[in-house]
Amino acid sequence: MKHFKQFKQMFAAQLKLTFREKQAWFWGIFFPVILMSIFMVIFSGSSDNEFSAKVAIVNENPNPTSEMLLQQLTSIPVLEIESGDTVSREKADELVKDQEVHAAIVLPESADDTSIFFIVNKENEQGVTTQALSGMLNNFVQQANLYAVGAVPTYELHFESITSSSNQLSYTDFLLTGMIALAIAQGGMFGMVDLVEMRRKGLIKRLRMTPANMNIFGLSDMIMRLLFSVIQIILLTIIGVFLFGANVYINFPSLLVVFLLGALSFNALGYFFSSFSKTSEAYMGVANIASFLMMFLSGIFFPIETMPEWIQPLSNILPLTYFVEGLRESMVYSTSIFSTGIWIAIGIMLLWGAVAFIIGSWLYKRKSIVATR
Amino acid sequence: MTVLDVKNLKKSFGTIHAVQDISFSVKAGEVFTIIGPNGAGKTTTLEMIEGLVPPDVGEIRFGEFNWDKHAKTIKQKIGVQPQSSAMFDLLTPEENLNLFATFYDKARPTEEILKLINLTDHRNNHVKKLSGGQRQRLAIGLAMISDPEIIFLDEPTTGLDPQARRNIWDIILQLKKLGKTTILTTHYMEEAEKLSDRVCIVDQGRIVTLDTPSALIEKLTEEREVRLSFINGAEAAEEANLYSNNLSSVTRTEREEASLILWSTDPENTLYNLFGYTKEKNYQVEQVSIREMSLEDVFIAFTGKEWRD
Ligand SMILES: Nc1ncnc2c1ncn2[C@@H]1O[C@H](COP(=O)(O)OP(=O)(O)OP(=O)(O)O)[C@@H](O)[C@H]1O
Ligand SMILES: [Mg+2]
Repeated sequence: MKHFKQFKQMFAAQLKLTFREKQAWFWGIFFPVILMSIFMVIFSGSSDNEFSAKVAIVNENPNPTSEMLLQQLTSIPVLEIESGDTVSREKADELVKDQEVHAAIVLPESADDTSIFFIVNKENEQGVTTQALSGMLNNFVQQANLYAVGAVPTYELHFESITSSSNQLSYTDFLLTGMIALAIAQGGMFGMVDLVEMRRKGLIKRLRMTPANMNIFGLSDMIMRLLFSVIQIILLTIIGVFLFGANVYINFPSLLVVFLLGALSFNALGYFFSSFSKTSEAYMGVANIASFLMMFLSGIFFPIETMPEWIQPLSNILPLTYFVEGLRESMVYSTSIFSTGIWIAIGIMLLWGAVAFIIGSWLYKRKSIVATR
Repeated sequence: MTVLDVKNLKKSFGTIHAVQDISFSVKAGEVFTIIGPNGAGKTTTLEMIEGLVPPDVGEIRFGEFNWDKHAKTIKQKIGVQPQSSAMFDLLTPEENLNLFATFYDKARPTEEILKLINLTDHRNNHVKKLSGGQRQRLAIGLAMISDPEIIFLDEPTTGLDPQARRNIWDIILQLKKLGKTTILTTHYMEEAEKLSDRVCIVDQGRIVTLDTPSALIEKLTEEREVRLSFINGAEAAEEANLYSNNLSSVTRTEREEASLILWSTDPENTLYNLFGYTKEKNYQVEQVSIREMSLEDVFIAFTGKEWRD
């Protein structure tokens, strides 16, 4: 009962401290929201009709096959066909070179010809639009093949799945879950600067002069941090879903577990940083490096697969990689808590947290907080 | 009744011997002052007693309690105002006091403390906006919130204006009236003289001397400083100087322009003789003073060093 009273007061104090700390609101709430909005505006549209690619179509020797393909291509809504008609091969090359169009599609020369050429500018070779286009075209060709053989009556069905390509929709989901993971991870890694400050100002020493139960103090602090992260999740999700049309299919038990263990792990990392940082500047330096590294290597903004091969092994050991993966599983794919995949992700992340916590505690004990005046 | 016993405390930080050998005991209801120059080891001594820093050697007992076995009990019984007053800057004085109150089994009403430390007007300002003196008063308030039997104040008046310093003296005297034991450190001799029942002068980690302020000063009254200034100018002063040098009770003299300063073991007789001489010569004395001895002289007498605040 006495403990509970102490907890209540300490928690109330933490609540006030967090509420009055303007920095916390800026970096924890305002900044992630702005960053997410910017990325969403730049890399996707606010409605699904905005994704479109301009292509030039070359049909120099019209024949039954090419005519049929042409007709199908023109019916794909996201493809905007340059000058509304077919062009010559030279003209197409020129258009691609000048980046007037995103790609040129060369239809078969004769009814027996089976090759379709897809020409893109070298500069755009790795671009998202190119990937999307080639994927669509590939699918399209495959369906056309089947159709030509006359074997598959589900042509229309498959075709639908191509035209309603949800590429940018899934990028919004991707970015939303990435930003949530980043915000929580940064909250943990940066937030423990309070501990360095408290130590520097002698507040920890002051508390140790009282019979205050430091475990309760730590607990109330931790719960405050978790609460703050819950606010981050809710706010980012609301903005992502209602402003940018993200789709979430949440499995709540999975999300709860991933969130709790993730937030704890990243707070443990922050705790570890604080154990060897004498000043808050030193702490912020370390936290910045860690956060920067993870921000770009953990598949927050872009899938890890799109990064150079040699860097991918590094991505595959970072904890944020697994946290964001766990969040995507639980928020977008609605993966059940009983799936093994989710536990592998949680496990690796938790390992980081546990090791960071153990080393941090050891460092704290070794050079006893008291020694720092 | 002894409430605190300290025996042979020693503490070194690397090659710095902060506390070399300190022993004393404090009685219930006493105001016990530790005074000494910067780096004398006052704070280190207090921190060892407060259980923050383990001593290298030595024994600390609060009645029948010691830190090894009764840390929790001792923490409930003592109140501490550390030299660098740390508190929650984003909370108000009232919130700080309320929070600290929950740490203890019993607590005085926040209202009462706010009144005592004269911060009622600033109860709702964030601590970071308080002035240095207001902060210091809050630090003392935090030390008193649990209504402790023993209260430790590490330089409670350093950096305060004379008015605020007097306020704090009042608080300490009030605590004394309530029967509380206060152990405080200071740089101000005047403060030690005014407030304390006993004074412990430390220098370089050792106790130079320990007694009541009056007893300490008494020890020095063998020789007093007497000052006279002459209207008739430097020449008259010089003649009086020569005369007084022949008096057996005078140990030493100095002349500054028209003033004569002499140190005498029997100032009354010295002045009697001196006035007989000046009357004879028809010299007129403008000012006469016998300097009161203070703890500063005690410090100088014991360490041979100049006292600096
Ligand atoms: N944690 C520490 N590490 C190293 N040296 C220390 C430490 N604490 C104190 N000292 C040294 O011990 C000596 C005594 O310091 P202490 O703070 O006890 O002096 P003090 O009498 O309180 O001085 P002041 O009047 O300036 O407060 C000083 O030389 C100081 O530099
Ligand atoms: Mg000190």
